[in-house]
Amino acid sequence: MTGELRYEIAQTAYIKLVLHALKHTTSAVNGILVGRFDAGKGLVEISDAVPLFHSTHIALLPSLEIALMQIEEYYGGQGLSLVGYFHANERFDDYELNNVAKNIGDHICRYFPQAAILVLDNRNMEALLKVKDLSPVVQVSSYSFFFYMLSSYQAST
Amino acid sequence: MVTKTEEAELNRLESQVEHGGGGAWEYLCLIRKLKIRRSDKVLKHGLSILNDPKKRSSLGDEEWTLYEQVAVAAMDCHSLGVAQDCIKVLSKKFPDSKRVGRLEAMLLEAKGCFEEAENAYLSLLEDNPLDQVIHKRRVAIAKAQGDILKAIEWLDKYLEIFMADHDAWRELAEIYISLQMYKQAAFCYEELILAQPTFPLYHLAYADVLYTLGGLENLQTAKKYYASTIDLTGGKNTRALYGICLCTYAIAQLAKGRNKEDKESGELQSLAAAALEKEYKSRAPSKLPLLNSTLKNLRL
Repeated sequence: MTGELRYEIAQTAYIKLVLHALKHTTSAVNGILVGRFDAGKGLVEISDAVPLFHSTHIALLPSLEIALMQIEEYYGGQGLSLVGYFHANERFDDYELNNVAKNIGDHICRYFPQAAILVLDNRNMEALLKVKDLSPVVQVSSYSFFFYMLSSYQAST
Repeated sequence: MVTKTEEAELNRLESQVEHGGGGAWEYLCLIRKLKIRRSDKVLKHGLSILNDPKKRSSLGDEEWTLYEQVAVAAMDCHSLGVAQDCIKVLSKKFPDSKRVGRLEAMLLEAKGCFEEAENAYLSLLEDNPLDQVIHKRRVAIAKAQGDILKAIEWLDKYLEIFMADHDAWRELAEIYISLQMYKQAAFCYEELILAQPTFPLYHLAYADVLYTLGGLENLQTAKKYYASTIDLTGGKNTRALYGICLCTYAIAQLAKGRNKEDKESGELQSLAAAALEKEYKSRAPSKLPLLNSTLKNLRL
């Protein structure tokens, strides 16, 4: 794979993910990113996000299987596909991807090798409230199936 | 865990209070009774009672219980100043109280001073070695620091003494699931089902864990527990209905090479599928095509 890969996340997707995490402040949450891959431009467009689960359901298979089936069906009809995964941990200062998140991320990367794994950054979220610092509250996790592919990302408004 | 009626009553009271219709005290009492975690609301409405001297005096002796409830809610919302004030009031009224001592240690926890909190709890335990809340707070400290294995160890020790604490078994199961230790989680749910066999959510969670573990035997048992969930909830549990369809499909995939061992399972799946369709038609008709395509993927 040559060249840098860029990721653009639409406002709808971004806000949905953050709101989902804010609704369940006391547990881990996860979600799926859907969008398009433009190989010509080297751009992954994340146009929408589907919040999935919170707390225990994250690590249980039945709901995940049904969810993935339905997401593929619903968004397939709009010409969109699975392009990534979002995870927010339970604890404030935890930015590691635990095994469950890695397994789900691996599964998605096998399906779409350029998948982005986004992790919620609580420090930036806190900064949003206090200092009006507008840096994005998600970061692309350093964990990836193919390290050299995940480089920069930008939040589009 | 609360029943649907209890939750409905709680939500009704909550919207009444939120829209200025009064009933804050009843709302707070119900939250205390059901042990639900809605700390931002508790903080808001609890403070409105406590800051109003007339309302406060009308509570009589219950005033102190409210101070305790608001202190815990404040800590949960990270309003440590409010929590500190409430605890100060309580310690003035009840000096040398173990209950207040516990709150003070919780405040240390909330501030992130885990070592000091741990020492405070240890010294409280010396006088009162069978205090359940303190034992559980120690588990919470381990969890908050990210030391999950220590949390499991402490929770295990706790459950050896207090075997009937269902919430602790559930917490342990959830920790095991987050670590993908599904066999151990299954054991916890087995204990819960033994203790409360008519509580459908334990059957459902157990079935989910068994399905995740996989393997023919586990899938067959999972199917039985999804069926018992449907039985206990009068057929209203969507996840259990989906579970039946998933299990039947997975069992069929596994048993493909074998000789027609489970031919009777087809009927249960079609019944579940029919029930799902009926539910979607009445509650979410726009999503019916999605359901139909999912079911098509799962049909044999």
